Amino acid sequence: MCFFALTLTSTLTRLSDTTEHSDAAGDRPARSESADALREVLPVLLAVLPFGVVYGAIAVQEGLSVAQAMGFSSVVFAGASQLAALQLMGLGAPIWSVLLTVFALNFRHVLYSASLGRHFSSFSFLQKLTGFFLLVDPAFGAAEVRAAKTRLTASYYFTYALILYIGWLLATLGGAGFGRLIEDPEAFGLDFVLPVYFLALVMTFRKRGLFYPVAGTSLAVSVLIYWLFGPPWHVSLGGLAGIAVAAIVGPQPRSGDSEGEERGVEGP
Amino acid sequence: MTNELVTADGAWSAATIWLVIVAAGALTYLTRIGGYLVISLFGSIPPRAAAALDAVPAAVLTAIVSPVLVSGDWPERITILLCAVLSLRLPLIAVVVIGTVLVAGARAFGF
Repeated sequence: MCFFALTLTSTLTRLSDTTEHSDAAGDRPARSESADALREVLPVLLAVLPFGVVYGAIAVQEGLSVAQAMGFSSVVFAGASQLAALQLMGLGAPIWSVLLTVFALNFRHVLYSASLGRHFSSFSFLQKLTGFFLLVDPAFGAAEVRAAKTRLTASYYFTYALILYIGWLLATLGGAGFGRLIEDPEAFGLDFVLPVYFLALVMTFRKRGLFYPVAGTSLAVSVLIYWLFGPPWHVSLGGLAGIAVAAIVGPQPRSGDSEGEERGVEGP
Repeated sequence: MTNELVTADGAWSAATIWLVIVAAGALTYLTRIGGYLVISLFGSIPPRAAAALDAVPAAVLTAIVSPVLVSGDWPERITILLCAVLSLRLPLIAVVVIGTVLVAGARAFGF
């Protein structure tokens, strides 16, 4: 798997070989850039793989074919939004509300690309397009840390991001194969995996400014709407209520380093 | 939603699912390149908009989970509250495993 990623990486980086060689940080050969990325991505990969397996198993339980489960992982590559989409499809939500939820959950990437774009300046046009496609939470965290220490090279970035991507696809495939074998998912508590996963995910954001007012508002509005009207409106309206609180109160200083809590545990 | 998009039993048809997958992929790519495009065109993101964007994951995820408190049975309600406390200390994957095992166990004992 890693070998495959490195081959792909070298194909992508070869496109910019001419610039790579002439620049200052280019004194380091691409191979050692890749080795650094490999060493740093492996622990993160171990944390990400179980979620790919869970996603694959639940996708098949929710009625997706293995090809659809794989297709979803390969074009979206964002676990939380993929799981949320499955949850809403299970509730029989309208298509637009599923898409709105995927868009809302992935909106954080706008901030990532705004920041990381500055460090992509040595990348070719094709590398930029591919690099943004692969921009998941851990890749963002690692690339920002790398860019703070030295120049971010294509070899480093694509080794790191492609290994996560390929790992995500293989984990999805494994989970989808496994999920087809389970006859009674509720006996294993599989229907409870999504709520508890989203809960634990929410708690990783607790060091952000305004977390408690935002989450508290979303909680109250979501429960109220669910109680009054049932699904699926509780997601959109509860979410919007929390976002409105943040927009009205405005920017807050963060109450701690938010980089660590999002790296590794959340993505893809 | 038109009738061709759903099958007789009300589930989504294969074509609908593929449509959602492709559209979700396109929207996600838009978010991944969007910040770069906005910065390239306008120079910066306004602070209030950045604060709102920052709050999106917590707000939406909370809204997805919350109904467990009213719709679930007692094992689910108690487990979700317990997991909220556990997640202050334990890594994410540990909380997911513990929560799932507790609910499966409660069901095995007939709760």
